[in-house]
Amino acid sequence: MRRDGSAIALVFVLPYVLLFLIFRIGPAIAGMLLSLTKYKITGDIEWKGTDNFQRLFADPLFWNALRVTLVYTLIAVPLTVLVSLGMAQLCARSVRGIRVYRALYFLPVITSLITSGVIWQWIYSGNGPLNWLFGTIGVGPIPWLSDGSMVLPSLSLMSVWTRFGYDMLILLAGLLAIPREYTEAAMVDGASAWSRFWHITLPQLKPALFFVVVLEIIQSFQVFDVIYVMTGGGPVRSSYSLVFFLYDQGFHYFDFGYASAAGVILFAITLVISLAQRRLFREDK
Amino acid sequence: MSIALSRQTRPRPARRRRHPSRSSLWAHLPLALVALVTIFPFYVMVVLSLQHGKPLTLPSSLFPTRIDLGAYVEALASSDILGWAGNTLVYSLVSVALVLVFASIAAYAFAKKRFFGREVMFWSFIAMLMVPYHLTLIPQFILVSKLGLLDTMTGLIVPTLANAQALFLMRQFILGIPDELIEAAKIDGAGELRIFFQIVLPQCKPIMATLGVFIFLWHWNDFLWPLVATRSPDNYVLTVGLYSLQAKDVSLAVTMAAAVVTFLPILFVYLLLQRYFVRGVTLSGLK
Repeated sequence: MRRDGSAIALVFVLPYVLLFLIFRIGPAIAGMLLSLTKYKITGDIEWKGTDNFQRLFADPLFWNALRVTLVYTLIAVPLTVLVSLGMAQLCARSVRGIRVYRALYFLPVITSLITSGVIWQWIYSGNGPLNWLFGTIGVGPIPWLSDGSMVLPSLSLMSVWTRFGYDMLILLAGLLAIPREYTEAAMVDGASAWSRFWHITLPQLKPALFFVVVLEIIQSFQVFDVIYVMTGGGPVRSSYSLVFFLYDQGFHYFDFGYASAAGVILFAITLVISLAQRRLFREDK
Repeated sequence: MSIALSRQTRPRPARRRRHPSRSSLWAHLPLALVALVTIFPFYVMVVLSLQHGKPLTLPSSLFPTRIDLGAYVEALASSDILGWAGNTLVYSLVSVALVLVFASIAAYAFAKKRFFGREVMFWSFIAMLMVPYHLTLIPQFILVSKLGLLDTMTGLIVPTLANAQALFLMRQFILGIPDELIEAAKIDGAGELRIFFQIVLPQCKPIMATLGVFIFLWHWNDFLWPLVATRSPDNYVLTVGLYSLQAKDVSLAVTMAAAVVTFLPILFVYLLLQRYFVRGVTLSGLK
């Protein structure tokens, strides 16, 4: 590499630098600064220090949003990862037509969450197919989306459907990268399928599994589209998530400073998860 | 991101099958069951969209005897669904094209050129991946509205062009292109632009296809930004339009017809370019 292209290099990066400064880095900094102000779209910006955060921590609606997000994450993530892991195991076998199966499992991933939400809303509805099915065995009707204690498990169940095809592909790539000699040697030694999975597959799969878990946690913490279209945060705010809170404060009440404070909290949570991931991953090596 | 980047699906030798006839049924059974469950919501969407104005009774509604396209006609007539599809197409395609152009030029410089502040610049862009989109949403909205671009295609597209993932993956890929190739072209007297367009860019086809498909998918399905950046129904994209239809309380068949219209183009792209989707997932946790 010689230094000759320095000027032209700067010309090459200029469009991206500008785009980043104006639309990513600038707004990120502005978001953090806004969280320290009172700013409604009609009025002036007033510097308020940590007022918004004090208000957040005293706001039951915010704690509710945090709790909803956490509960949703705690149900959806393990469920999705376990199903993905099982399906990756099944799909790692060389069965005829396995490619067709994999292609089918990926279909929900490419479907917009709005489309999925519209469909699942009917599947969960009072006279939908799920309640019909349960009705035939004399159960129900189950208030999937209309009962406060049911709504988060229902949304989690749906999120398994929308997400497992993606995670499965990552885990499958991890599975297929495990040298076959390991498993074969263990088979010669007479290890059971379970012990092969526990002692060979799982340790080898750890990086991919870790990646999937962290990705799922971050995504679950940012859940919005599905809730917006399916429940509108209800019933009685039982699915009112953190991003929903941010959206509501920002674009319903136009309280930009307060909404930005919620954005900073989301950033802090994401940062902690990402840093924890890096730390744990480094210890792994 | 780092983990999946190093992983690629490797072709593996075919397995010996000892009892093909006996084992295959047991292998197929769980796979087929999950496939049925996976497909069922799509089946529901299509079937319901074909039963316009008929009372809904289960299970017979799931096995229609007559196909009625009335819901599609009503969706086309009562909403601007074709316009939304056009907007979505512009939003997706223009973004894909511009991101690929800007990202590849910048990534080339970051990978193969030396200049002041290169590392700081590059890694501060990549660090932006850690900042949730939602924190930047409000300042972006304020910025776009102050620029007078709210409710315009430009205002919708431009903020999405600063795509850190695209820059990162493109740079990783270009790092793998041998320096000798570029040096040789330079000795032959090729200028910078010529080297970029005739040597580097053709090598980048695979990564550009993969990224292109993913950016397209992301834009096609994007909801939150179009929801806040557009106001008039004329400027809606399909996801926002579908939501507005549902909120307007039109019949179930019409909503499902609109859902089908939103889904079909992406299905078509998927069937056509499936291997790029798979490669994109294994390459990184894009989005």
